[in-house]
Amino acid sequence: MNQTSTSILAQRSAEAAQARIALRLTAALTEHQSLGNHPDIDARLRFAREQALAVARQAHSNVAVAPAAIGRAGGAAVLGGGPEGTPWWLRLGSLLPLAVLLAGLVLIDSHYTRSQIEAAAEVDAAILSDDLPPEAYRDQGFVEFLKTARP
Amino acid sequence: MATDKELADFLKNVEKRAFKRTAYTVRNDDAALDIVQDSMIRLSQKYADRPPAELPLVFQRILSNATMDWFRRQKVRNALFVNLSDFEGADDEGGDFDLLELLDTSGARTSTENAADSVGRQQTLQLIDDQVQQLPTRQREAFLLRYWEELDVAETASVMGCSEGSVKTHCSRAVHALAKALRTKGVTL
Repeated sequence: MNQTSTSILAQRSAEAAQARIALRLTAALTEHQSLGNHPDIDARLRFAREQALAVARQAHSNVAVAPAAIGRAGGAAVLGGGPEGTPWWLRLGSLLPLAVLLAGLVLIDSHYTRSQIEAAAEVDAAILSDDLPPEAYRDQGFVEFLKTARP
Repeated sequence: MATDKELADFLKNVEKRAFKRTAYTVRNDDAALDIVQDSMIRLSQKYADRPPAELPLVFQRILSNATMDWFRRQKVRNALFVNLSDFEGADDEGGDFDLLELLDTSGARTSTENAADSVGRQQTLQLIDDQVQQLPTRQREAFLLRYWEELDVAETASVMGCSEGSVKTHCSRAVHALAKALRTKGVTL
């Protein structure tokens, strides 16, 4: 217990010493910086600052102008506005392309299925209405005959 | 939201340190000026509506990102890979070296100093500046953010993108390395 508190004290003391040194070092850096005479760097930094402030002023004025412009536009602003200003029928209308796409997919699928059924029915009808009984196609010899008989 | 005056005061207060910190890292005054200017403009463009108390942390983060962007552009331009961790030195903590040995305990400095003292003082300041410049990049970043920009440990960690423990380690190593180097050269603070 006593040992622990001693080590904590030692650690805090070391941290305090570190902070003291660090603050003296940074004070020296600040002093060195203030003694240094670099008019070109100072001028460029001032120019950079002025530019940044001009940008900030521009950003502020844009924010201030935007609501006023929407107010002046009146009803026309509704079309360009966010979701809160959009009427329900317009929001519903935005779903229309999606609905058309889904309907098209369903139609294509049903058409494809139907054409497959019709093709199978045609084959079945041809086999059933032929003079040759369907069982004949199970005979390996007949199948071989069909293959070799073809020109 | 920061007013124009608060923003102007903040930028004026931080610009020289920001320049110096960046110049230490990129070792090119022109590039450092460009980076600082770019950071100031980014701050004004996107974060000028933040409360004044948040500006230092946001600005330091922007500045660090802008510096990293500069290194990336340099890498592309020069096809030269600059890995910041390569600058990390070995464990240079000075073992049983006592930090307090660096402090001048001979009493308060006299208020008057002659020309020789002044020149000596300037040489000491230049020496400290050089030693800071020679620190490994991450150690220097942590040291400057923590003690020069006066960010707390959590804020420094946030700007550097590392843990608070790493910040403490970097700061400790930086202070020990500086103290050791200065003591070797016979400098006391």
